[in-house]
Amino acid sequence: MTKNSIWVIIPAYNEAKKLPVVLQKLNKQGFQYIVVDDGSSDQTLAVAQKHSEHVLSHKINLGKGAALKTGCEYAFSKLNGEGVIFFDADDQHEATEIELFAAALEAHDVVFGVRSFDENMPLIRIMLNRLASVFLMLLFGSYIPDIPSGFKALSKTAYKKVAWNSSDYSVEMEIAARVAKNKLDFVTVPITTIYHELDRGMTFIDTLKVLLRALSWRISL
Amino acid sequence: MSLFQITALLFALFMLYVVNIHRRKLHLSRVEQIAWYSLWIAFVVVSLFPNLLLGVTDLISFSRVFDLLIVAALMVITTLVVTNYFLQRENSRRLEQIIRQFALKEADAKQSQNK
Repeated sequence: MTKNSIWVIIPAYNEAKKLPVVLQKLNKQGFQYIVVDDGSSDQTLAVAQKHSEHVLSHKINLGKGAALKTGCEYAFSKLNGEGVIFFDADDQHEATEIELFAAALEAHDVVFGVRSFDENMPLIRIMLNRLASVFLMLLFGSYIPDIPSGFKALSKTAYKKVAWNSSDYSVEMEIAARVAKNKLDFVTVPITTIYHELDRGMTFIDTLKVLLRALSWRISL
Repeated sequence: MSLFQITALLFALFMLYVVNIHRRKLHLSRVEQIAWYSLWIAFVVVSLFPNLLLGVTDLISFSRVFDLLIVAALMVITTLVVTNYFLQRENSRRLEQIIRQFALKEADAKQSQNK
């Protein structure tokens, strides 16, 4: 898999402030990327179009899962990509670490970025994060750490097997569940995370909803 | 006539009015019109003459007509909720597909223009 066959997919919803920084960092790294504007009401689309020729736009907000799927469809069917790397638009990931994912994709189908659970991450979030991993292990028999992390990579073969139905934030859990269910070859890569706004993550209720959905996937997948 | 009967009758008449509005706006097919009118007219009749159902309640061992109505109402509501759930899920899936296709086509068109 060459660098040219890997596409970074950035789902963006109302990220006009942070997106230029992210795209500038990506341009420095020389990776090709696709921005999927998920029906933003701010200038996200205009910002993305200023930096890249590969910009997709949802006319209404569908959710992160749907935006990632649109990006994957475009990368694999229109741009003949062989692999994709998911990268959040809120500047919480280090663009330099994309190299690690691209290298790991050479030998593995799926790469999960795993944040370090240090003092920067609130305790409740650490607990919910661990709970999701343990729950997934009980249901599907594989332990995947830091499931909610948005920094991950899939090969084209893996995408065909894990193509998800979730259109919202539960996509991260569904991908992990499908990877475990299909026993895909995955590897984890340690990533650094820059925390900007801690209140933007999933709430306790969101986590419960996702865990309930995981139960339904255990039956239906 | 009890207060409960009067309330039920007023509710049924209001629902008949709602069905009529949707009929006039052409929101309902012929079958849907017949089904909804029949349901609410039956409700009016039962509200006025609850004793009509005594035979049915005896047959299926309900002690009161009111119990039968509650069970029947719950069955109708459950059916509607389940039907709506599947319909809503299917509509969401379709909407997502349409928006995705639109986004992909738009990107394709832009690519062709740039070439």
